[in-house]
Amino acid sequence: MDRVELTVGVKDAVPIVLGYLPLGFAFGVLASQAGMTVIQATAMSVLCFTGAGQYIALGVIQVQGAIITAVIANLLVNVRYFLFTTSMVPFLKNHVNPVIASILSYGVTDETYAVAINRYQNHPPTSAYMAGLNITAHLGWISSTVLGAVLGSMVTNTDQFGLAFALPAMYICLLVLLITKKSDVLIALVSAILCLVIGYIWPWSMENMFNMVIATIAAATLGVMIREF
Amino acid sequence: MSSEAIWITIIGVSLATLIPRILPVALFSGFEFPKIVIKWLSYVAPAVLGALTALSILAPAGELHISVSNLYIWAFIPTLLVAIKTRSLFLTLSVGIAAMAILYNVIM
Repeated sequence: MDRVELTVGVKDAVPIVLGYLPLGFAFGVLASQAGMTVIQATAMSVLCFTGAGQYIALGVIQVQGAIITAVIANLLVNVRYFLFTTSMVPFLKNHVNPVIASILSYGVTDETYAVAINRYQNHPPTSAYMAGLNITAHLGWISSTVLGAVLGSMVTNTDQFGLAFALPAMYICLLVLLITKKSDVLIALVSAILCLVIGYIWPWSMENMFNMVIATIAAATLGVMIREF
Repeated sequence: MSSEAIWITIIGVSLATLIPRILPVALFSGFEFPKIVIKWLSYVAPAVLGALTALSILAPAGELHISVSNLYIWAFIPTLLVAIKTRSLFLTLSVGIAAMAILYNVIM
Protein backbone atom coordinates (compact mmCIF):
# COMPACT_ATOMS: atom_id res chain seq x y z
CA MET A 1 0.00 0.00 0.00
CA ASP A 2 1.49 3.32 -1.09
CA ARG A 3 1.24 5.66 1.89
CA VAL A 4 1.61 8.88 -0.08
CA GLU A 5 -1.19 7.88 -2.45
CA LEU A 6 -3.36 6.83 0.48
CA THR A 7 -2.87 10.22 2.15
CA VAL A 8 -3.70 12.07 -1.06
CA GLY A 9 -6.87 10.00 -1.37
CA VAL A 10 -7.90 10.77 2.20
CA LYS A 11 -7.19 14.49 1.69
CA ASP A 12 -9.16 14.57 -1.55
CA ALA A 13 -12.13 13.11 0.33
CA VAL A 14 -12.28 15.96 2.87
CA PRO A 15 -14.51 18.26 0.76
CA ILE A 16 -16.79 15.30 0.08
CA VAL A 17 -17.08 14.50 3.78
CA LEU A 18 -17.96 18.15 4.42
CA GLY A 19 -20.72 17.95 1.84
CA TYR A 20 -22.00 14.62 3.15
CA LEU A 21 -22.36 16.01 6.66
CA PRO A 22 -25.75 17.71 6.15
CA LEU A 23 -26.92 15.06 3.66
CA GLY A 24 -26.10 12.04 5.82
CA PHE A 25 -27.37 13.85 8.87
CA ALA A 26 -30.70 14.53 7.17
CA PHE A 27 -30.89 10.89 6.11
CA GLY A 28 -30.33 9.76 9.70
CA VAL A 29 -33.05 12.09 10.98
CA LEU A 30 -35.57 10.99 8.32
CA ALA A 31 -34.71 7.32 8.82
CA SER A 32 -35.52 7.44 12.50
CA GLN A 33 -38.72 9.30 11.71
CA ALA A 34 -39.64 6.57 9.22
CA GLY A 35 -39.36 3.99 12.00
CA MET A 36 -35.86 2.67 11.40
CA THR A 37 -33.60 1.96 14.36
CA VAL A 38 -30.18 3.59 14.62
CA ILE A 39 -28.63 0.24 13.69
CA GLN A 40 -30.83 -0.11 10.60
CA ALA A 41 -30.14 3.44 9.45
CA THR A 42 -26.42 2.89 9.95
CA ALA A 43 -26.49 -0.49 8.22
CA MET A 44 -28.17 1.11 5.24
CA SER A 45 -25.44 3.74 4.93
CA VAL A 46 -22.77 1.04 5.33
CA LEU A 47 -24.26 -1.34 2.76
CA CYS A 48 -25.78 1.06 0.25
CA PHE A 49 -23.74 4.29 0.27
CA THR A 50 -26.00 6.00 -2.23
CA GLY A 51 -27.74 9.22 -1.25
CA ALA A 52 -30.59 9.33 -3.74
CA GLY A 53 -31.20 5.57 -3.54
CA GLN A 54 -31.38 5.59 0.25
CA TYR A 55 -33.86 8.48 0.23
CA ILE A 56 -36.00 6.54 -2.23
CA ALA A 57 -35.89 3.44 -0.02
CA LEU A 58 -36.91 5.58 2.95
CA GLY A 59 -39.91 6.84 1.04
CA VAL A 60 -41.00 3.28 0.34
CA ILE A 61 -40.46 2.21 3.97
CA GLN A 62 -42.43 5.22 5.18
CA VAL A 63 -45.53 4.40 3.14
CA GLN A 64 -45.18 0.64 3.81
CA GLY A 65 -44.67 0.12 0.08
CA ALA A 66 -43.51 -3.04 -1.66
CA ILE A 67 -39.85 -3.97 -1.19
CA ILE A 68 -39.51 -4.68 -4.89
CA THR A 69 -40.47 -1.05 -5.62
CA ALA A 70 -37.50 0.15 -3.58
CA VAL A 71 -35.17 -2.30 -5.32
CA ILE A 72 -36.32 -1.50 -8.87
CA ALA A 73 -36.26 2.24 -8.21
CA ASN A 74 -32.69 1.83 -6.97
CA LEU A 75 -31.63 -0.16 -10.01
CA LEU A 76 -32.95 2.69 -12.18
CA VAL A 77 -31.26 5.41 -10.14
CA ASN A 78 -28.00 3.50 -10.17
CA VAL A 79 -27.80 3.06 -13.95
CA ARG A 80 -25.59 6.16 -13.85
CA TYR A 81 -23.03 4.30 -11.75
CA PHE A 82 -22.72 1.83 -14.60
CA LEU A 83 -21.72 4.72 -16.85
CA PHE A 84 -19.36 6.16 -14.24
CA THR A 85 -17.45 2.98 -13.52
CA THR A 86 -17.32 1.99 -17.20
CA SER A 87 -15.68 5.32 -18.00
CA MET A 88 -13.09 4.59 -15.29
CA VAL A 89 -12.09 1.23 -16.77
CA PRO A 90 -9.65 2.65 -19.39
CA PHE A 91 -7.82 4.44 -16.55
CA LEU A 92 -7.86 1.60 -14.04
CA LYS A 93 -6.77 -1.06 -16.49
CA ASN A 94 -3.07 -2.02 -16.22
CA HIS A 95 -2.74 0.12 -13.08
CA VAL A 96 -4.94 -1.47 -10.45
CA ASN A 97 -5.54 -5.19 -9.97
CA PRO A 98 -9.04 -5.82 -11.43
CA VAL A 99 -10.28 -7.69 -8.35
CA ILE A 100 -9.20 -4.90 -6.00
CA ALA A 101 -10.47 -2.25 -8.43
CA SER A 102 -13.88 -3.99 -8.56
CA ILE A 103 -14.18 -4.16 -4.79
CA LEU A 104 -13.10 -0.54 -4.30
CA SER A 105 -15.54 0.57 -6.99
CA TYR A 106 -18.26 -0.08 -4.44
CA GLY A 107 -17.30 3.35 -3.09
CA VAL A 108 -18.04 5.13 -6.39
CA THR A 109 -20.66 7.84 -5.92
CA ASP A 110 -21.41 11.05 -7.82
CA GLU A 111 -18.90 12.81 -5.62
CA THR A 112 -16.05 10.28 -5.45
CA TYR A 113 -16.39 9.76 -9.21
CA ALA A 114 -16.08 13.50 -9.87
CA VAL A 115 -12.94 13.73 -7.74
CA ALA A 116 -11.28 10.52 -8.96
CA ILE A 117 -11.85 11.05 -12.68
CA ASN A 118 -10.25 14.49 -12.31
CA ARG A 119 -7.15 13.05 -10.70
CA TYR A 120 -6.85 10.24 -13.26
CA GLN A 121 -6.50 12.81 -16.06
CA ASN A 122 -2.91 13.49 -14.88
CA HIS A 123 -2.10 10.77 -12.34
CA PRO A 124 -2.36 7.03 -12.88
CA PRO A 125 -4.82 5.47 -10.43
CA THR A 126 -3.57 3.34 -7.56
CA SER A 127 -5.48 1.08 -5.21
CA ALA A 128 -4.15 3.14 -2.29
CA TYR A 129 -5.63 6.35 -3.72
CA MET A 130 -8.96 4.64 -4.46
CA ALA A 131 -9.09 3.21 -0.96
CA GLY A 132 -8.17 6.52 0.68
CA LEU A 133 -10.76 8.47 -1.28
CA ASN A 134 -13.66 6.03 -1.30
CA ILE A 135 -13.33 4.68 2.23
CA THR A 136 -12.91 8.13 3.80
CA ALA A 137 -15.95 9.40 1.92
CA HIS A 138 -17.89 6.30 2.98
CA LEU A 139 -16.88 6.75 6.64
CA GLY A 140 -18.03 10.37 6.42
CA TRP A 141 -21.37 9.23 5.08
CA ILE A 142 -21.75 6.58 7.79
CA SER A 143 -20.79 8.85 10.69
CA SER A 144 -23.07 11.68 9.59
CA THR A 145 -25.91 9.14 9.33
CA VAL A 146 -25.24 7.96 12.88
CA LEU A 147 -25.17 11.55 14.11
CA GLY A 148 -28.48 12.29 12.41
CA ALA A 149 -30.15 9.12 13.66
CA VAL A 150 -28.98 9.67 17.25
CA LEU A 151 -29.25 13.45 17.57
CA GLY A 152 -32.19 13.68 15.19
CA SER A 153 -34.55 16.05 16.85
CA MET A 154 -31.93 18.25 18.54
CA VAL A 155 -30.48 20.06 15.52
CA THR A 156 -33.30 21.06 13.23
CA ASN A 157 -31.71 23.58 10.89
CA THR A 158 -28.36 22.80 9.29
CA ASP A 159 -28.96 25.22 6.39
CA GLN A 160 -27.64 28.22 8.28
CA PHE A 161 -24.07 26.88 8.13
CA GLY A 162 -23.96 27.04 4.35
CA LEU A 163 -22.83 23.40 4.12
CA ALA A 164 -25.66 22.76 1.69
CA PHE A 165 -23.43 24.44 -0.87
CA ALA A 166 -20.39 22.23 -0.22
CA LEU A 167 -21.19 19.68 -2.94
CA PRO A 168 -22.37 22.21 -5.57
CA ALA A 169 -19.15 24.20 -4.94
CA MET A 170 -17.13 21.02 -5.34
CA TYR A 171 -18.85 20.17 -8.64
CA ILE A 172 -18.23 23.70 -9.93
CA CYS A 173 -14.52 23.52 -9.14
CA LEU A 174 -14.08 19.97 -10.47
CA LEU A 175 -15.83 20.95 -13.69
CA VAL A 176 -13.49 23.94 -14.10
CA LEU A 177 -10.46 21.71 -13.42
CA LEU A 178 -11.63 19.00 -15.80
CA ILE A 179 -12.07 21.33 -18.76
CA THR A 180 -8.92 21.33 -20.88
CA LYS A 181 -10.31 22.20 -24.31
CA LYS A 182 -13.19 24.16 -25.77
CA SER A 183 -15.02 21.03 -26.83
CA ASP A 184 -15.20 20.00 -23.14
CA VAL A 185 -17.09 23.23 -22.41
CA LEU A 186 -19.50 22.45 -25.23
CA ILE A 187 -20.09 18.87 -24.02
CA ALA A 188 -20.64 20.00 -20.42
CA LEU A 189 -23.04 22.75 -21.49
CA VAL A 190 -25.02 20.52 -23.83
CA SER A 191 -25.30 17.89 -21.12
CA ALA A 192 -26.36 20.46 -18.51
CA ILE A 193 -29.04 21.98 -20.73
CA LEU A 194 -30.33 18.59 -21.93
CA CYS A 195 -30.48 17.33 -18.36
CA LEU A 196 -32.56 20.33 -17.26
CA VAL A 197 -34.87 20.25 -20.29
CA ILE A 198 -35.49 16.51 -19.95
CA GLY A 199 -36.15 16.98 -16.23
CA TYR A 200 -38.58 19.79 -17.05
CA ILE A 201 -40.49 17.81 -19.67
CA TRP A 202 -40.51 14.55 -17.68
CA PRO A 203 -40.40 15.34 -13.96
CA TRP A 204 -40.16 11.62 -13.15
CA SER A 205 -36.73 11.58 -14.76
CA MET A 206 -35.50 13.95 -12.05
CA GLU A 207 -36.46 11.40 -9.42
CA ASN A 208 -34.60 8.44 -10.92
CA MET A 209 -31.88 10.64 -12.50
CA PHE A 210 -32.61 9.32 -15.96
CA ASN A 211 -32.33 12.89 -17.19
CA MET A 212 -28.64 12.76 -16.26
CA VAL A 213 -28.15 9.36 -17.89
CA ILE A 214 -29.82 10.42 -21.16
CA ALA A 215 -28.03 13.79 -21.20
CA THR A 216 -24.65 12.14 -20.59
CA ILE A 217 -25.13 9.54 -23.32
CA ALA A 218 -26.28 12.20 -25.81
CA ALA A 219 -23.50 14.67 -24.97
CA ALA A 220 -20.75 12.01 -25.06
CA THR A 221 -22.06 10.84 -28.44
CA LEU A 222 -21.93 14.42 -29.66
CA GLY A 223 -18.32 14.53 -28.43
CA VAL A 224 -17.42 11.57 -30.63
CA MET A 225 -19.16 13.09 -33.65
CA ILE A 226 -17.57 16.55 -33.57
CA ARG A 227 -13.91 17.30 -34.20
CA GLU A 228 -12.09 18.22 -31.02
CA PHE A 229 -11.39 21.92 -30.78
CA MET B 1 -42.99 -1.80 7.97
CA SER B 2 -41.85 -4.67 10.19
CA SER B 3 -38.23 -4.81 11.27
CA GLU B 4 -37.74 -7.89 9.12
CA ALA B 5 -39.15 -6.17 6.03
CA ILE B 6 -36.87 -3.18 6.64
CA TRP B 7 -33.84 -5.50 6.76
CA ILE B 8 -34.87 -7.20 3.51
CA THR B 9 -35.29 -3.77 1.92
CA ILE B 10 -31.80 -2.74 3.09
CA ILE B 11 -30.24 -5.88 1.60
CA GLY B 12 -32.21 -5.63 -1.64
CA VAL B 13 -31.29 -1.99 -2.12
CA SER B 14 -27.64 -2.61 -1.32
CA LEU B 15 -27.48 -5.34 -4.00
CA ALA B 16 -29.08 -2.92 -6.44
CA THR B 17 -26.28 -0.42 -5.80
CA LEU B 18 -23.49 -2.99 -5.64
CA ILE B 19 -24.08 -4.52 -9.06
CA PRO B 20 -23.91 -1.43 -11.35
CA ARG B 21 -20.77 -0.20 -9.56
CA ILE B 22 -18.77 -3.39 -9.46
CA LEU B 23 -19.84 -5.15 -12.64
CA PRO B 24 -18.29 -2.82 -15.26
CA VAL B 25 -14.85 -2.88 -13.64
CA ALA B 26 -15.02 -6.64 -13.07
CA LEU B 27 -16.25 -7.40 -16.61
CA PHE B 28 -14.44 -4.89 -18.80
CA SER B 29 -10.98 -4.75 -17.18
CA GLY B 30 -9.64 -7.60 -19.28
CA PHE B 31 -11.24 -6.26 -22.42
CA GLU B 32 -9.69 -3.96 -25.02
CA PHE B 33 -12.14 -1.18 -25.88
CA PRO B 34 -12.14 0.09 -29.48
CA LYS B 35 -10.68 3.60 -29.86
CA ILE B 36 -14.04 5.19 -30.54
CA VAL B 37 -15.48 3.75 -27.32
CA ILE B 38 -12.55 5.11 -25.31
CA LYS B 39 -13.14 8.52 -26.85
CA TRP B 40 -16.85 8.29 -26.06
CA LEU B 41 -16.07 7.31 -22.48
CA SER B 42 -13.65 10.24 -22.13
CA TYR B 43 -16.59 12.59 -22.66
CA VAL B 44 -18.67 10.96 -19.93
CA ALA B 45 -16.84 12.89 -17.20
CA PRO B 46 -17.42 16.44 -18.53
CA ALA B 47 -21.01 15.50 -19.42
CA VAL B 48 -21.70 14.09 -15.95
CA LEU B 49 -20.10 17.06 -14.19
CA GLY B 50 -22.01 19.52 -16.37
CA ALA B 51 -25.27 17.80 -15.52
CA LEU B 52 -24.42 17.44 -11.81
CA THR B 53 -23.46 21.11 -11.52
CA ALA B 54 -26.59 22.30 -13.31
CA LEU B 55 -28.86 20.10 -11.20
CA SER B 56 -27.20 20.99 -7.91
CA ILE B 57 -27.64 24.73 -8.61
CA LEU B 58 -30.93 24.89 -10.48
CA ALA B 59 -32.72 21.98 -8.78
CA PRO B 60 -31.20 21.88 -5.30
CA ALA B 61 -34.24 20.21 -3.73
CA GLY B 62 -34.88 17.80 -6.58
CA GLU B 63 -37.25 20.09 -8.50
CA LEU B 64 -36.34 22.80 -10.98
CA HIS B 65 -36.18 26.14 -9.21
CA ILE B 66 -35.12 28.85 -11.61
CA SER B 67 -35.89 32.16 -9.91
CA VAL B 68 -34.14 35.05 -8.17
CA SER B 69 -35.20 33.53 -4.83
CA ASN B 70 -32.97 30.51 -5.49
CA LEU B 71 -29.96 31.25 -3.27
CA TYR B 72 -27.89 28.58 -5.03
CA ILE B 73 -27.84 30.68 -8.20
CA TRP B 74 -26.44 33.67 -6.29
CA ALA B 75 -23.85 31.57 -4.48
CA PHE B 76 -22.88 30.04 -7.82
CA ILE B 77 -21.48 33.34 -9.17
CA PRO B 78 -18.66 34.03 -6.67
CA THR B 79 -17.92 30.30 -6.43
CA LEU B 80 -17.42 29.94 -10.19
CA LEU B 81 -15.22 33.04 -10.31
CA VAL B 82 -12.99 31.74 -7.51
CA ALA B 83 -12.81 28.31 -9.16
CA ILE B 84 -11.67 29.79 -12.48
CA LYS B 85 -9.29 32.27 -10.87
CA THR B 86 -7.61 30.02 -8.26
CA ARG B 87 -8.28 26.46 -9.51
CA SER B 88 -8.16 25.53 -5.82
CA LEU B 89 -10.80 23.17 -4.47
CA PHE B 90 -10.21 24.35 -0.92
CA LEU B 91 -10.67 28.06 -1.73
CA THR B 92 -13.66 27.36 -3.96
CA LEU B 93 -15.35 25.32 -1.27
CA SER B 94 -14.63 27.92 1.41
CA VAL B 95 -16.02 30.76 -0.69
CA GLY B 96 -19.04 28.70 -1.74
CA ILE B 97 -19.95 27.69 1.81
CA ALA B 98 -19.36 31.21 3.16
CA ALA B 99 -21.44 32.74 0.35
CA MET B 100 -24.30 30.36 1.09
CA ALA B 101 -24.12 30.96 4.85
CA ILE B 102 -24.18 34.75 4.33
CA LEU B 103 -27.00 34.60 1.80
CA TYR B 104 -29.05 32.31 4.01
CA ASN B 105 -28.61 34.28 7.22
CA VAL B 106 -28.96 37.71 5.62
CA ILE B 107 -31.85 37.07 3.27
CA MET B 108 -33.94 34.39 4.94
